[in-house]
Amino acid sequence: MAATKEFSSTGGDATVIGPSILISGKLTGDEDLTVRGRVEGELNLSKTLIVETSGIVKANVSVRNAIVSGVVVGNITASESVELTREGRMVGDINSPRVIIVDGASFRGHVDMGNAEPRPQSERPAARPVVRPATTSRPATVPARAAIPVARPAAKPQPPPIAKVEAAAKPENKPAPPPPPPQPVLVGEAGKKKVLVKKKK
Amino acid sequence: MANTIIGSSIVIDGEISGDEDLVIQGTVKGKISLKESLFVEASGVVEADIEVQNVDIAGRVTGNIAATDKVELKADCRVVGDVRAPRILIADGASFKGNVDMDVKER
Repeated sequence: MAATKEFSSTGGDATVIGPSILISGKLTGDEDLTVRGRVEGELNLSKTLIVETSGIVKANVSVRNAIVSGVVVGNITASESVELTREGRMVGDINSPRVIIVDGASFRGHVDMGNAEPRPQSERPAARPVVRPATTSRPATVPARAAIPVARPAAKPQPPPIAKVEAAAKPENKPAPPPPPPQPVLVGEAGKKKVLVKKKK
Repeated sequence: MANTIIGSSIVIDGEISGDEDLVIQGTVKGKISLKESLFVEASGVVEADIEVQNVDIAGRVTGNIAATDKVELKADCRVVGDVRAPRILIADGASFKGNVDMDVKER
C-alpha cells in the first residue's frame, strides 16, 4: 500500500501521520509530511505534503509542494506545485504556479496559477477537463486569464456579469490596454501569452 | 514499530487521537489521546494532557499524564504535571515535578 519506504527505526527526518491518527488543530513544520490518517484544521509546511490514499485532510493547506493521492477538502496554497494523482480527490481552491491533475483525479474548485490577476471565472471550466501534465495544460489556462483584461473594456463577445464586477473592483490594476477588436481574439491571445511568459521568467 | 512520527521540526497545536503508536520528535500542544503507546523522544516537547496506554518520555512534557498501563520517565526527561498509571517508572537522572498516583483500578 505504502508507496514510500517503510521506516525500520524511528530516526530520520520524516513525519508520518498513521492511518488511525486524527489531528485536529494547527500543524506547522519545516519537513516533509506524509498523511495516512486525518488532519483537520490548518497545515503549514515549508516542504512537501504527501496525502496518501488513506489520508484525509480537511484543512487550509499552505506548503511548498503537495501531492494528493487521498482526499483533501480545503484550499491549497503551494509555492511550487500541486499534484493530484489518479487516486486523488479534492474539493477546494488551488493556488500554485504549477498544477498537475492527472487522469482519474477528481477535483472541484478554482485553480489559480498566479500572475497577479484575481482568479478569473472563465478558468473554471478549463480546469476540469485538464488531464494532461501541467506543461501542456498551462497554455489552456493562460488564454483564460489573458481574456479578462480584454473583458474589462467590455469588448469581449460574451462577458459574464461577474467579469464586469471584477473589472470595476480593480480598475487601476494595470494601465488599460487598447481593447482589441472582438474578432481577432486569437491574435490577441497569442500576443498576451508571450508577454505573460516573459514576465514570469 | 511505530506508524506515526511527528518529526523534529513539526509543531502541532490541537488535538491528536488515534489507535496506534505515536512517536513525537517535535512539538505538540493541546491534547493527546491514544489507545496505544506514546514515545516522546529526546527532542520532543509536549505541552498537553496525555491519555494513552503506555508512554515513554525522554523529552519534555508539561501536562497531566494518564496511562492505563505504564508511564516511564527516562534518564534525561523533564516532566511537569500529574502522573496517573498503575505502573510508573522513573529512571535515575529524570527530572519530574507533580503528583504520582498508582492507585488506578483500571486493569
